Amino acid sequence: MADKVTGGSSRGKSIRCRAAVCRRPSEPLVIEEIIVAPPMPHEVRIRIIYTSLCHSDVLFWKIEDYAAAMFPRILGHEAIGVVESLGEDVNEVSEGDTVIPTFVSECGECRDCKSPKSNLCSKLPFKSSRVAPFMPRYETSRFTDLNGEAIYHFLSVSSFSEYTVVDIAHVTKIDSGIPLTKAAGLLGCGISTGVGAACRTANIEPGSTVAIFGLGSVGLAVAEGARLCGATRIIGVDVNKDKFEVGKKFGLTDFVESANSGSKSASEVIIEMTDGGADYCFECVGMASLVQEAYACCRKGWGETIVLGVDKPGSQVSIPSKDILTTGKSLIGAVFGGLKPKSDIPILLNRYINKELQLDEFVTHEVTFEDINKAFDLLIEGKSLKCVICMDDQ
Amino acid sequence: MAAMDETLSSGHRGKPIRCRAAVSRKPGEPLVIEEIIVAPPMPHEVRVRIVYTSLCHSDITFWKMKDFPGVFPRILGHEAIGVVESVGEHVTEVAQGDTVIPTLISDCGECVDCRSAKSNLCSKLPFQISPFMPRHETSRFTDLNGEVIHHFVSVSSFSEYTVVDVAHLTKIDSSVPITKAAGLLGCGVSTGVGAAWRTANVEPGSTVAIFGLGSIGLAVAEGARLCGATRIIGVDVNQDKFEIGKKFGVTDFINPADCVNKSVTEVLIEMTEGGADYCFECVGIASLVQQAYACCRKGWGKAIVLGVDQPGSQLTLPSYDVLHKGKTLMGSFFGGLKPKSDIPVLLNRYINKELQLDEFVTHEVVFEDINKAFDLLIEGKCLRCVICMNTVS
Repeated sequence: MADKVTGGSSRGKSIRCRAAVCRRPSEPLVIEEIIVAPPMPHEVRIRIIYTSLCHSDVLFWKIEDYAAAMFPRILGHEAIGVVESLGEDVNEVSEGDTVIPTFVSECGECRDCKSPKSNLCSKLPFKSSRVAPFMPRYETSRFTDLNGEAIYHFLSVSSFSEYTVVDIAHVTKIDSGIPLTKAAGLLGCGISTGVGAACRTANIEPGSTVAIFGLGSVGLAVAEGARLCGATRIIGVDVNKDKFEVGKKFGLTDFVESANSGSKSASEVIIEMTDGGADYCFECVGMASLVQEAYACCRKGWGETIVLGVDKPGSQVSIPSKDILTTGKSLIGAVFGGLKPKSDIPILLNRYINKELQLDEFVTHEVTFEDINKAFDLLIEGKSLKCVICMDDQ
Repeated sequence: MAAMDETLSSGHRGKPIRCRAAVSRKPGEPLVIEEIIVAPPMPHEVRVRIVYTSLCHSDITFWKMKDFPGVFPRILGHEAIGVVESVGEHVTEVAQGDTVIPTLISDCGECVDCRSAKSNLCSKLPFQISPFMPRHETSRFTDLNGEVIHHFVSVSSFSEYTVVDVAHLTKIDSSVPITKAAGLLGCGVSTGVGAAWRTANVEPGSTVAIFGLGSIGLAVAEGARLCGATRIIGVDVNQDKFEIGKKFGVTDFINPADCVNKSVTEVLIEMTEGGADYCFECVGIASLVQQAYACCRKGWGKAIVLGVDQPGSQLTLPSYDVLHKGKTLMGSFFGGLKPKSDIPVLLNRYINKELQLDEFVTHEVVFEDINKAFDLLIEGKCLRCVICMNTVS
């Protein structure tokens, strides 16, 4: 295991460290030594402290038939770490700063970054079909294995490694006063996505009725966000009954067990129990059929269906044209809950520190880096919300 | 006609009226002008003498439809202006002699939707392509053989007299002149203007793209123009629509027939450097809705659907695009407007010469020639053809 490297001794040089490499689809990650090149201009090399598993990691770990199937790859995109060294032209952060890397970028300069209406940076756009296998500005990798073979990045983060290199546009600086907790890194993806979707994308009003399809971390984070927004009714839909009890912590008031509602679909049950449909419906699984169900049970007139789940490439959503025209419903997609990482993550962190926003409650398991594959098992078996992977003995 | 007028004003109240209607007896066949009997209005209903009516594509869609919700015989027409002849019990909102515009959507004023600023979809009398009157589920029309003739979206304006539920009736201030164009606010122009103004809430400086430059699409342009959009791009296969469109604010034009090496989507995205802020689909074809969705800008773009597609049509979008582009897809029914409050507002803007309405009227026919209106619209030769019901103008 590589000793903790401080910028002083390794600045400008390659670092040899451990990473959990995904060599073949669906096979356990291999902990092996790799070489991490120094950061190029506008890049930052980060020592990862805590990282966590998200379903999108699992999706692209399994993927075989699409352009996104690229191996060997270092997965992981939800993490918190410390800056080890900087490439040229980086002024925003310094060595030693606490940072949260994100899969969405924020250059701060383009039309989208300057507009309050968008969080989809145009300068370093989200690289869709292959989920960003390279560094965004140079289209090269900073990782090689000990045979000299390049290892692909993932979503511009690649946090399943003791050290990673991230473009500064994908790095959010965290105030030094904020403690580096196990839960803080969750704001790098899942929790921000859910809370943002409720508070920013949907902008839920007090008194609203909300339905959430899929009570994984993202869905429960939507509940948490809806709770903070003052929603009075938060209905969770899941195949796993146990999620109701878990969900109550985050504000869930009602539960519908899908695939077991007997003759009625979950959406029919929801329409009945809400007397017409929910004001806001969130799809947090990544299945076209659920998007369609969510659309069906949002209320006519003003209902909004917000899509957060990542479906398989090539999937299609199908809605009756008549419903689109005559029901007054909206269908909205949101990435990272519509949040701008550099401004909004610090705000959410503050709410967490002030005990308004629950984050620790999402962490149900912890493993050391060596046991990273256990995190995959737990998530796939539906036994965890967030399993935090502790990179360092400290 | 004048003689009949006198008879009616003096007292058909409570009695059936015998008058002419243009009856659609078989799908796709010319309407037959024949005498029918119009029953008196039941409670909450109003019998209206139609003065002007106009043809909308939705009439044609249901005129051609062989299977349900197409039904025959039927009196089509849903865009009109008229005068109240008599009222049923419990009607206090309007009185005999009032000018009224009937609408396909209702506005009961009492339900959750009507009381909310966010919805125009009345729950009490929800929209349906019903063959009957909304409250009593019966017809007020019979032919001279006593056979029931069906209603159309609670209006049925292709008749000298019709019966309309008061929730579907907007009272027009008596000072507003009954012009040929005013009735257009019963459907098409309100739908288009409302979609831009209310549903999309187009901001000044916006870029707007409109797929289909029929009356609805041009009304969207008019609405976007009034909202201060700086770029209004019209997409239509009919080159003539560009010149016509300029009147209503269209600044750029794309003819799909000219897009040989690039798709319409690619052309539009290029010319707007990423997509339009708002894209409106005003034809009623799923593939155009997909185009509109693809052409709206990532981050904040909205695709708004106004066109009426065939029953059973499905819109299919890539899940990936739905999730990752930050776009919104929404429909706009009657432009998101509440008829009773918003039609008078639009009428005022028309009277004050801010909103163009007369410019939508490209043709006029007398009632006997109503089938010419169908020909003109099907052949794409008109915007709005107004049918003048009464020879006394």
